[in-house]
Amino acid sequence: MKASASPPPPPLLEVDGIGVRFGAVRALDQVSLAIRRGEIIAIIGPNGAGKTTLLNVISGFYHPSEGRIRFEGRDRTRLAPYDVAALGIARTFQNVALFKGMSVLDNIMTGRLLKMKGSFLLDALYWGPAKAQELEHRLFVERIIDFLEIQAIRKTPAGRLPYGLQKRVELARALAAEPTLLLLDEPMAGMNVEEKEDMCRFILDVNGEFGTTIALIEHDMSVVMDISDHVAALDYGRKIADGTPDEVRRDQTVIDAYLGVSHG
Amino acid sequence: MLDPSLDTFPKLALINAQRLPRNVAIREKNLGIWRPHTWSEYVEQARLIALGLAALGFARGDKTAVVGDNRPPLYWSMLATQALGGIPVPLYQDSIEKEMQYIVGHAEVRFAVVEDQEQVDKLLHVRAQCPMLEWIVYEDARGLRHYQDPCLLSLEELKERGRKFAQDNPGYFDQEVARGGAEDTAVIAYTSGTTGQPKGAMLSHRNLIATARRAIERERLTAAEEVVAYLPMAWIGDHMFSFGQSVVAGFTTNCPESAATVLADLKEIGPTYFFAPPRIWENILTSVMIRVDDTAWVKRQMVHFFLRLARRVERRRLAHRRPALLDRLLYPLGWLLVYGPLRDNLGMSRIRVAYTAGEAIGPELFEFYRSLGINVKQLYGMTESSALICIQQDGDVKLDTVGPPLPGVEVRISETGEVMYRGPGVFQGYYKNPEATRETLDHGWVHSGDAGFFDKDGHLKIIDRARDVGRLSGGTIFAPKYLENKLKFSPYVREAVCVGHERDFVSALINIDLASVGNWAERRGLAYTSYADLAQKPEVYELIRQEVVRVNRSLLDEETLRGAQIRRFLLLHKELDADDQEITRTRKVRRGFVAQKYAPLIEALYGAADHVNVEAQVTYEDGRTGTVRAAVRISEAETFAAAGISG
Amino acid sequence: MGLLYDVLVGPFRDMLGAPTFLAEVLIGGVAAGLMYSLVALGFVLIFKASGVFNFAQGAMVLFSALTLVGLMERGVPVPLALALTVGVMVALAFAIERVVLRPLVNQEHIILFMATIGLNFFLEGLGEMVWGANVKKLDIGIPDESFTMAGILINKLEMTAAATAAVLVGILAVFFQRTKIGRALRAVADDHEAALSLGIPLRTIWVVVWSVAGIVALAAGIMWGAKSGVQFSLSLIALKALPVLILGGFTSVPGAIVGGLIIGTGEKLGEVYWGPLVGGAIENWFAYVVALAFLLVRPQGLFGEKIIERV
Repeated sequence: MKASASPPPPPLLEVDGIGVRFGAVRALDQVSLAIRRGEIIAIIGPNGAGKTTLLNVISGFYHPSEGRIRFEGRDRTRLAPYDVAALGIARTFQNVALFKGMSVLDNIMTGRLLKMKGSFLLDALYWGPAKAQELEHRLFVERIIDFLEIQAIRKTPAGRLPYGLQKRVELARALAAEPTLLLLDEPMAGMNVEEKEDMCRFILDVNGEFGTTIALIEHDMSVVMDISDHVAALDYGRKIADGTPDEVRRDQTVIDAYLGVSHG
Repeated sequence: MLDPSLDTFPKLALINAQRLPRNVAIREKNLGIWRPHTWSEYVEQARLIALGLAALGFARGDKTAVVGDNRPPLYWSMLATQALGGIPVPLYQDSIEKEMQYIVGHAEVRFAVVEDQEQVDKLLHVRAQCPMLEWIVYEDARGLRHYQDPCLLSLEELKERGRKFAQDNPGYFDQEVARGGAEDTAVIAYTSGTTGQPKGAMLSHRNLIATARRAIERERLTAAEEVVAYLPMAWIGDHMFSFGQSVVAGFTTNCPESAATVLADLKEIGPTYFFAPPRIWENILTSVMIRVDDTAWVKRQMVHFFLRLARRVERRRLAHRRPALLDRLLYPLGWLLVYGPLRDNLGMSRIRVAYTAGEAIGPELFEFYRSLGINVKQLYGMTESSALICIQQDGDVKLDTVGPPLPGVEVRISETGEVMYRGPGVFQGYYKNPEATRETLDHGWVHSGDAGFFDKDGHLKIIDRARDVGRLSGGTIFAPKYLENKLKFSPYVREAVCVGHERDFVSALINIDLASVGNWAERRGLAYTSYADLAQKPEVYELIRQEVVRVNRSLLDEETLRGAQIRRFLLLHKELDADDQEITRTRKVRRGFVAQKYAPLIEALYGAADHVNVEAQVTYEDGRTGTVRAAVRISEAETFAAAGISG
Repeated sequence: MGLLYDVLVGPFRDMLGAPTFLAEVLIGGVAAGLMYSLVALGFVLIFKASGVFNFAQGAMVLFSALTLVGLMERGVPVPLALALTVGVMVALAFAIERVVLRPLVNQEHIILFMATIGLNFFLEGLGEMVWGANVKKLDIGIPDESFTMAGILINKLEMTAAATAAVLVGILAVFFQRTKIGRALRAVADDHEAALSLGIPLRTIWVVVWSVAGIVALAAGIMWGAKSGVQFSLSLIALKALPVLILGGFTSVPGAIVGGLIIGTGEKLGEVYWGPLVGGAIENWFAYVVALAFLLVRPQGLFGEKIIERV
């Protein structure tokens, strides 16, 4: 689908020779990666390979000790997480980071905060326009609720939901920000087969309907092969393969890396 | 309203648009908000869809498959099809491809209007086998952007084509509507028989309109009613309540947001007219009770106290007796503190008429709702009768009957005990299946396939499927399912199988309910190691024996059935399991299979021993099989002779 | 027997015997309680948004009141002085974020707590250095006098204080539940990382929270100051807020209010009716005994969040 003879468009996000150290441990070492606009890229690798670290670097939670990150052609290596979010990069977390005391609706509305106009401080003073704005955003959030089929839990406190639904709500919250790039950290971890199928469908639908570029970390190789256009493999903080799902699956280094830790 | 020229649904809908243009015809919850459509919009939408279909070459007599959750455009499409002299064929939205393929092929469907991608995917596969299917129109375009198949069309495009068609053919819609007549087939409703392929019951406009009118008059329904359309559109009940009666009476149909939100949506709408099978009544009750149990101790005790009180009062009322004085005095207080708020919470404070049907409802459940002042009544009907045959009348409600026949409907019991009926609602026959039609339709009388009888007040009582009814060797009628249902109304009984055909007496194999019996045992400090162990405890046998005796005693009132009381029973050492093919996935007992598999147990029930040794094959979750050895005890239960009545 | 009677029966007989007096005691208790609530609210706001137990809340009350009085003493008209004090508290919030919170981000809670102790001493010192250490009278134009209604003696100042507190609490509730910044605040309180990933600027949120806490402190400072003069002991009312927090739960706005009311009315009733039995001064320890009892029975407080664990 993505194959084309014309010169490839500049990538949406370029990671260039990134290194991250935690004390003596090199979590990432000279990792370069290009994420193309509109694709679904899967980042795979054994546990501890540095996948989540890479996601944290992209979303500004860690700053690399070396290397550069360009997003939409501009260098933004050292931005804070909330500034990264403002650029149009949304993410979910490996261990579900929902606002547990808030309702599902409020959780997703929180995802709209960046889209709400006006200064934080003035917001409390302007009643009328603030209210109208709230309604407009509510409508957008309702579309997402409809899209992800979570109407029945709108008013439920997020903390009371089963795990699979929490993951779905987290995705909804990330989508509420209308991101250009969506980072999903193990969106299907801990799910049963049916929940996984639903989640795959949602990810494909998000990509298809909104054209959102998606980078995801996933362990289930069948899922990775099914939904991604592009796969990058990490091991011990280094990138060991990068290509189409088929290429990566046949790559001997990748096979070795997985075999090497399969009983570890 | 009874203008005889209004003999089809499209004509009636057009009149509604003139008579009640601003009344809400149908409402749909979408993106969290209820969106109403008036009768004039209803008709306008149906007109555009009809013209669009006409633009695609729809001819009189063509069929439109309608597939999806209850959505306004799907109801409009049915009306649109009828307006063009076509026949809507609603399909169950959860049918698998193979089932859909049979019906689409059998009904020679040319057009399909479906809800979303899920149905489009299925129908595209069906189309590969059924090339007659020319067009698939979808409402929700999500996920379909990249579909290239030329037979696909969005509802919006269809309506756009309809607008263009109208410019070239002014007056086409009204002409086509005027050509329709009472004897035209209004719908083909496929019934999923337990055996063989589904049969398509053809119902005419006259069948459906006459039946709808009679029920509307009987229940005094008006244009102000609100119904919630949440049961499958392919089921004749929804067709009658949400489409037929809605068009005839002009009342509002409400489409929930999704299957998962029905309970919440119910609360928001507060329907005045409501139908639910026992399973749904039970779900609603459970969801409420869970919330009650979450409240503070004082509140919980108060709720339970008043619910018990209401139940006592309702029992007396059903028996046409006055409640005790103290209960009468406290009842208004209960209304203020519990019943009123609870009804609000259930979304049932506005209900004037509610039905339960389809299977026997547990007395506890039935009494619960009635004791809250919710007018739940039992109803009997089937697809071949345009949904309605008998309805209980206000103020004359019983636990275990389905009431007297509707006006104009005749019901008689055949010599074999089968319920037969005749009336204006009786269907035209099965589509392209004269053989089945001949078997079912006999000079205007329909073989219902149900066994039943009339009680002394003229209420029909259904006891079982006719073919399952047997006779004891003494000639007494024996209705296994009737007994089993009575047993299953006990919380301690999970499943029961009664045996007795051509035997001297009735005996029962019973599955205890592990959760409730386990709980009961724990409260008594009764230790047990496994299901089999618990089931064989003498204390548990005693517990279940009391339930059996209760059933026997209740049979005393039943002239026809009192001879078939349960004399001996045993508690099975394992649960009947779909994996072992003992029950279906929908929890219906496979009677023949069980009789064969447990033949030694059944023989022991008719022997003299007080126990029997068994060895049973069981299938574990992982697919392995193993053997369980156990001694199963056999217990006797008291039976009762009718006192003072000879015979 | 006599003792039992004095403890269990006597006081209630006294209450019923003189209902007007009882009403007066209760009103006094409610008024005091609402003021405790105000101080507790400041704690709750900061604790909710940043998980920091702000030891300096009491000092903020003192500092704001001192600033207001100081400005008024220098002839600044009341409205302008109020506005200026609010400005000072907001500036203080910016300064705290820049100097204390930002450098200590991601540190242990105990470190941040220690930092607020430092802040406490700094504010006390700064206040006295700038405005002097002697007791000042704060006159905001509401006389400390009483009127009678339905035979009940009511203090105008207490009434005004109670009304102001009630309004302030109402505004805060709307602010938290309805506005976008309120939602952002709750989000930050619930999960820092997630809030960051949604583009919620943590620094702005901190400044807002500390500003609001400063303004609440000012309100409390005015009310207490007008009643008993602005003096060093104002910063000690923070200690009274502690039992209120334990009672109401550290994260609950309604809890802070109800907790304050219980403590306020409880200690007044105890002092008046049971005080003579033990020679008075119940007011001084009542709150702490209640708090201790609560810690044993219901450590999360009346309204504190139950920890919802997913099974």
